[in-house]
Amino acid sequence: MRERVVTVGEDQPLVGILSEPSTDQITEPRTAVILLNSGVIHRVGSCRLSVTLARALTEKAGIPTFRFDFSGIGDSEARRGTLTANQAAVDEVQEVMDYLGKWKKYDRFILYGLCSGAFAAYRTALSDQRVLGTVQLDGYCYLTWKSYFHYYAPRLLSPARWYSLILRKLGLKKVKKGVEVSGIEERFFEVPDFSSYPPKADVEQGLKKLNERGLHMLYVFLGNEHYSYLNQFRDCFRSVPFGENLTVIHRPLATHILSEPEDQAVVVDAIAAWVHKLQQTA
Amino acid sequence: MEAFYFGPSESYLFGVFHPRRGTNRNEAVVLCNPFGQEYLRAHKSIRRLAISLADLGYSVIRFDYRGSGDSAGDLTNISADQWVDDIRHAIQEALDMTAAPKAALVGLRLGALLAARAATGNPKVSRLVMWDPVLDGAVYVDGIRSSIVEAQARGSRSRLTSPDGTLHFNGFCMPPKFQDSLNGATLQDIVTEIRVPIAQITSHETDGFSQLQQQLAGQPGFHATLAPAPHDWNYVDHVGGILWPKPVIDAIEHYFSQPAH
Repeated sequence: MRERVVTVGEDQPLVGILSEPSTDQITEPRTAVILLNSGVIHRVGSCRLSVTLARALTEKAGIPTFRFDFSGIGDSEARRGTLTANQAAVDEVQEVMDYLGKWKKYDRFILYGLCSGAFAAYRTALSDQRVLGTVQLDGYCYLTWKSYFHYYAPRLLSPARWYSLILRKLGLKKVKKGVEVSGIEERFFEVPDFSSYPPKADVEQGLKKLNERGLHMLYVFLGNEHYSYLNQFRDCFRSVPFGENLTVIHRPLATHILSEPEDQAVVVDAIAAWVHKLQQTA
Repeated sequence: MEAFYFGPSESYLFGVFHPRRGTNRNEAVVLCNPFGQEYLRAHKSIRRLAISLADLGYSVIRFDYRGSGDSAGDLTNISADQWVDDIRHAIQEALDMTAAPKAALVGLRLGALLAARAATGNPKVSRLVMWDPVLDGAVYVDGIRSSIVEAQARGSRSRLTSPDGTLHFNGFCMPPKFQDSLNGATLQDIVTEIRVPIAQITSHETDGFSQLQQQLAGQPGFHATLAPAPHDWNYVDHVGGILWPKPVIDAIEHYFSQPAH
C-alpha cells in the first residue's frame, strides 16, 4: 500500500490522503472508495475509524481509497459561496470524483460516511451516476410502529421516566439539547448542525430512485435508541423493493462513534467484505 | 499551507507546513499533539494556532505521531520514546524547510511532556511552550485507568485492559509498551535539564501547575499565563463536538508576538 497527500482544487484546495494498493493487489482498476467527514471531526474520522477503514479496504479489498476534508473542516480551508453546507458537500464530492477520474481514470465510486457523512453520501449518489454504491453508518432512517413500541414501552413502565416527565412538565427539570449537554459554553464548543434532517417521504423517494438505478447500499446501524431492530430500515421504507441492492447490519451495542475496538473491527471487516464482493459483482 | 509526508519510510509522518507571512522571526515552530481522543478534539485548535503563528512571522509544522492521525501504522508496539523521536524528525523537517536556525516547541497535554523530553539537550530547540501540560506520565496513565473505571460505572462497555494490558479509552488504545515508556517521565525532573526559555500557558489552575510554575520562576525567560477556558479534551459526545478554547490560543499567540524571551 502507498499513501500520499493529495490536494484537490486550485484555490482553497480540499486536502486528502490517497491510499493505493500495490500493483499486484489491485482487484478492480476503475473503482475507488471515497470516505467523507462525519460532523466536524477531520478526515481521520471518529476514533480514527476512517484511517483504519481506508487502509483495510486498500490492503484487504485491493481498492484505492481517498479520505478528505470538506471545505471548512480539518485541513481544508473554508470556501466562500452561496451554497448551503449540504449542497457544498455534494459539489465537493463531485469535484473529488472529477479529479480522481481525470488523474487516475477511476470512473466508479463507492461513498462511505458516518452520520452526516452518510447523509452526504446519499445526497451525492442521488446527483451522480458515477456512484456505484454507498456505505452508510447511521444513515437516514425513521421510527416505525415497532420501533415506537420498543422506544416507548420501557418508558411507560419506568417509574423513573414518569418522575422525570413530571419534573419536566412542572418546569423543574430542563431537557438539554445539542451543546447544552456538554455543559461547555457554546462559544468554546463546536458541534455539527443536524437541523436539516429531511422528511421521510423525501428520503423514500430518493431511495426508490437509487434502487431503480441499481445503487448498491450497505447500511450499518449502531447503538441508537431510535434504531431498535435489524429490519427497521426495510420496514421504514417498505415501499422500496430493495432486493439484492440492500444489505443492513445492526450492531445495537456499539456506540455511535464505534469507540470499542471489537465493534470497530467487526464493522471494518464487514465493509471490506461487502466492498470486495461488490467489486466482483460489478 | 502544504501537507506532506516526511520521516522514515517505515514510519512515515503526516505533516502540515504553514510558511511564515510577512515578518521573518527567524525561528520555526513545531506543534506537538496530545494523545488519542484529545488529539481529535484539539485538531482545530492546533491548526488555528499554526495559522496564527504563521501570520506572526513564524514558519510552523504540525504533524501526526506514528500510529496516530494520518501517519503510518497503529500504536501496536509503539512507545512514547518513538513519539519523542518523531518530534525530533519534525524539528529537523522544520529547519530544513525554513532555513531557520532553531525551532520552538509547543505541546498540548501529553504533547507538552514529550516536547519537553525532545527539548532536553537539543541545540536545535529555541524554547518550549507547555499548554496544560501532563506533569507526570505515570499519573496520566493512572488517570486514564480511573476514567475507564468511572465510565464503566456509567454503563460504558470499555474494558480496563486487554489481556495483554492494553488500555482502551474513548476509542483509542494505549498498549503496555507505551504506558511503560511514560513511567518515570515527570516534568519536574525534565525541566531541570532544559536550558532554553520555557513558557507554561494554562487554561485552569491546579496544584501541579502552580508547583511547576514556582520551580521554573527563577529560570531566565520563564513565562506563565493563565487563560481561563474549558479544558476537558476527553469530553466525548455522540455528535463529535470539539473543544475550542480560544483564550488559550490567543494567550500563546500573544506570547509569540512579543520579542523572543
